[in-house]
Amino acid sequence: MLRHEVVVVGAGLAGQRAALAAAGAGRDVAIVTKMHPLRSHSGAAQGGINAAIGVNDSVDAHIFDTVKGSDYLGDQDAIEFFCREAGPTVIEMEHFGTIFTRAEDGSLAQRPFGGAGFPRTVYAADRTGLALLQGLWEQLGTARFTLYEEWELARIVVRDGRVQGIVALDKKTGEFQPVAAKAVIVATGGAGRIYGRSTNAHSCTGDGAAAAYRAGAFLKDMEFVQFHPTALLEGGILVTEAARGEGGILKNAAGERFMTKYAPKVLELASRDVVARAITTEILEGRGFTGPYGPYVHLELMHLGKEKIESRLQEICDLCRSFAGMDPVADPIPISPAQHYMMGGVGTNIPGETNVPGLYAAGEAACVSIHGANRLGGNSLMETLVFGKSAGAAAAAYAEKAPATTLLPGDLDSVTASYRAWFGRADGEDPSTLRNDLQQTMDRYVNLFRTEADLAEGLRKVRAIQERFSRVRVVDQSTVFNINLTDAIETEHMLDLAEVIIVGAIARTESRGAHFRKDYPKRDDAQWMKHTLALRTPSGPALSYSPVAFTRWEPKERVY
Amino acid sequence: MSADTISVPFDVYRYQPGKDSAARYQRYTLDLVPHTPVLTALLQIRAETDPSLGLRYSCRSAICGSCAMQINSKSRLACETQVGPEVARHGRIVVEPMRNQPVLRDLIVDQSPFWREYNKIEPHLKLDPRRPMPAGKVTVMTPAQVDRFKETPRCIACAACYSACPAAEADPGFPGPMALAKLYRFAVDPRDTAHQERLVRIQPNGLWLCLRCHLCTEACPKDVRPSERIRDLKEMAIAAQGATEMGSRHAVGFKENLKGAGQLNEMKLVRATSGLTGMLGQLGQGIRIYRKKPEIMKRPRKIEGMDELEKIYAALDPPPKEGP
Repeated sequence: MLRHEVVVVGAGLAGQRAALAAAGAGRDVAIVTKMHPLRSHSGAAQGGINAAIGVNDSVDAHIFDTVKGSDYLGDQDAIEFFCREAGPTVIEMEHFGTIFTRAEDGSLAQRPFGGAGFPRTVYAADRTGLALLQGLWEQLGTARFTLYEEWELARIVVRDGRVQGIVALDKKTGEFQPVAAKAVIVATGGAGRIYGRSTNAHSCTGDGAAAAYRAGAFLKDMEFVQFHPTALLEGGILVTEAARGEGGILKNAAGERFMTKYAPKVLELASRDVVARAITTEILEGRGFTGPYGPYVHLELMHLGKEKIESRLQEICDLCRSFAGMDPVADPIPISPAQHYMMGGVGTNIPGETNVPGLYAAGEAACVSIHGANRLGGNSLMETLVFGKSAGAAAAAYAEKAPATTLLPGDLDSVTASYRAWFGRADGEDPSTLRNDLQQTMDRYVNLFRTEADLAEGLRKVRAIQERFSRVRVVDQSTVFNINLTDAIETEHMLDLAEVIIVGAIARTESRGAHFRKDYPKRDDAQWMKHTLALRTPSGPALSYSPVAFTRWEPKERVY
Repeated sequence: MSADTISVPFDVYRYQPGKDSAARYQRYTLDLVPHTPVLTALLQIRAETDPSLGLRYSCRSAICGSCAMQINSKSRLACETQVGPEVARHGRIVVEPMRNQPVLRDLIVDQSPFWREYNKIEPHLKLDPRRPMPAGKVTVMTPAQVDRFKETPRCIACAACYSACPAAEADPGFPGPMALAKLYRFAVDPRDTAHQERLVRIQPNGLWLCLRCHLCTEACPKDVRPSERIRDLKEMAIAAQGATEMGSRHAVGFKENLKGAGQLNEMKLVRATSGLTGMLGQLGQGIRIYRKKPEIMKRPRKIEGMDELEKIYAALDPPPKEGP
């Protein structure tokens, strides 16, 4: 049986940074990842990474903007830690070799971003995630660790009140492999693919968060789902917030710059929840354009000039030209909001510990919480690095002292038995059909604007799909790269997470950040200034609540 | 954009180890709007017709590098290749796995040769312990310094270049376009302190195996232009340590050779490339060529328009600038 002290699941920025920290502490580290680390979805982040390193900026200003952006649901102790670590982290990434865009004086260039009072976002053109992923992967190449590439997480094994290891599918051979570990770090990213229209990669299926939930970890604040204001085409390809940071403006079909109504002071640079709701309101009230991909509004860049657009927004130019057949230098970009980010995740504290001893989480898979009810653009890349590092260090310290763990034959057998049933069926539905139904349900009933009736209908439908999933059928009998099987494993994970999102959203009878209830349109601090915690039970998620940590910032009404 | 669909015939390479004794092509015909990406069509085939079709994919927006494959014999990303133009040009869409990497299943290849070559170039900043990074500060790098390697950071490691590369096919010792483009980035990054060492190491280790066909640059979906970076590396390697390899001696010899008459003096070129002892080794081949084409041994006559050629050489080797 394979055995390591620390097993990191996921090899995006959070997972890689955790592995680097744990390896640096002298532990025997393995990374288990379902795709090559350089293909991780961190690489798709475009706009930038926030650090208050500008001469007139301050860490306190970054803290305040993040607290306000979170609609006062972010834990202020965690946010303070995060913002203080941001500066040193960006310097460290530069020293690792990351190629950032530079200002004329040779320092790091910074651009304005939504919800921020200062141009605080360090960037690499509009491929900041890719630049960081390259820089970190290069640095990790100098460390000692074992890479299990193209292995899909099936289960996190918890026994005797602590983590014992994982079981994962080696996609190249079709074998389920037990890997004993003293500490497991979940860094598997978000679960955007429970939605149909999402900026997320097909790989964003929340495997680690779902496996942690099944292993007894709390999922926290899952009802807070971020919709990015500007996504392209029916699939929702991301058009970076940097497009607005660089000066892009939004117009409706009447040619009005409608953000003057919704955020008169900062216009297009209000926080994402505000801008996304503004766009959707314009569309719902009949002031959008209609097209073959559904209704949309215009994002205009033309006034920025060809040179600026092509240098600062090079990837966006390419995406518009090759995917949408239009040129942002000459014409407005047709955009509308799409699912983008999960504020919620596996509940952790600052060092990344969960309620299960030996189980850690970091990045989008985790919820510390620094984003609260709404994440600011540029804070998620920084989160992966700051909290990846602290989770890696904490897991290493735990693993150094923890007694050896072991996996029993039954741990593997129970995994393979449940999957064997999927192969053996003569009839039953294909996992992709069920996934597609789930995505349509979430798009329709659990979107930007929510009501009790919609959410209840969404929950009914998700539970019906869960029921149908008990008869899922994997047709492909092959042992080599059986995507039919991994589709099924992922879909099962996604159904769990969708259920938790909806149950939390029904319970939260207020509007805060990205969670907007038309039937409860006001924030209700007296009742709802608290985190949602979901624990898995046979009859579905059991909710409880935990207090928000306050340090220096009193809740105020949020106006942009 | 019209919602009118067209009928698109796909011929998809299928191979499942343990099931198929040999590769075969399977025909699927789909009605699609012309701007449909090939990836979307393949996923539709998986969802509606054949869940066993194997492929890698993830971001569907040309940034993760997962879905490179041969589409009508070109190495492309399936997510950004639209069906309309392919059908208009070829009448059908032939989808095959990338080349120069063993097929594992259907459209999925074993990328270990590609990653092995990438790892060989030591793809990380090398620092001189005597020149540490500035403590608590970023390195100062001007936009002009960063612009020297502005193309390489766009690389998404999709391996389309490796798939398109005839040198990688002919010689497994060739590092491949992506690895060399990556090496170039480290060899000009002012933070890296091993520029000379990197160049000296690569010159005898595959740099000159590049055939200068530029198919990598044509295939690259991110405009990294690997062949241009390989050309830069060759110039830098010669500047760093002179022409030490047959390939570099051939390049330098070629340039010097043309100076005399404007056409090649084949004998001199063979000598410049292989040296006198190397020429002896090629004696048999030389005699065979001489029998068929005796004029090859003659000293070439000066061409017309030598003055134009001299201008080119003057531009290539500008006279040293006068000091202040």
